[in-house]
Amino acid sequence: MSNDDTKPGEDIGDLLSGYIDDELTQQQRQRVELHCQDCERTRKDLEELRALRRRIGQSRLGELDAGAWGERMNDTGVRVTAAIGWVLFIGGLLLAAGAFVVSLLFDDQIGVFGKFVIVGIYGGLAGLLISVLRQRLIERKSDRYKNVRI
Amino acid sequence: MHHELIRLGAGAHAFAIQILGNRDDAADAVQDAMVKALTAPDAYDARQGPLKPWFYRVVRNRCLDLLRGRRSNTETVDTLPAAGPDPESALVTEQRDSEIKHALETLPPAQRQILVLRDYLDLSYAEIGVVLDIPAGTVMSRLHRARNAMREALNNHVE
Repeated sequence: MSNDDTKPGEDIGDLLSGYIDDELTQQQRQRVELHCQDCERTRKDLEELRALRRRIGQSRLGELDAGAWGERMNDTGVRVTAAIGWVLFIGGLLLAAGAFVVSLLFDDQIGVFGKFVIVGIYGGLAGLLISVLRQRLIERKSDRYKNVRI
Repeated sequence: MHHELIRLGAGAHAFAIQILGNRDDAADAVQDAMVKALTAPDAYDARQGPLKPWFYRVVRNRCLDLLRGRRSNTETVDTLPAAGPDPESALVTEQRDSEIKHALETLPPAQRQILVLRDYLDLSYAEIGVVLDIPAGTVMSRLHRARNAMREALNNHVE
């Protein structure tokens, strides 16, 4: 029976999506089914929504399969390990530097001048290393071509 | 968790593409989310629900962070590769995918996301609510609006 006067969007509209997704209560399902008995337009709407859902479901919106993600996960594992390695390395370095400074401060065999010289040499080396690392990081962040694959 | 994340990677990538509009950025966002999931496993509580919606939510948040940082990036989604060895069927598949992709691109990001979560990734309304951080009760009406917009976009594409 055709009933083009019925407007599915007025009351039943949102329920149509819930109906095809099986997300309605029993009462809501019955409302939709009763409505469909008398409304050809709603039945057509339902069919179109089902077709749309199938069409989207069958399409390929991503292009990396599980194999590709497996490889990326290996890469991820490497990144995680590297991050942990860096944290341990920097932590160890800071501890060693702290221990060195403390032992130097309490070493009676080295004079004050000697302590200044040693701190100056090692402090200067550390400053140079940090500035080079900082420069490399800035270059890496601002490199437009870092993602270009040859 | 490692194998589950691999299984979820492809879907998460498709979802991230809808937010970022760029496959490479999307892949980076998914990988960042994987790193987060692996380095902070305590962040996921299995008692709160399955891993899938939690992981998609992490991916979405990462995508939104990237969007905030890369507002100027307007690169479009790359053409999808052919699907199979048979050139004729590959062409049909590619055309079908292309129509869907172009229709999706005409929709607002919020509608693209909800469509992909339901019709492509097959999440329940409750899971979609978790991913998009909206009440489960509003998912149905938003999804219906998105589907109507998608139907219209596909019809306009055919015309």
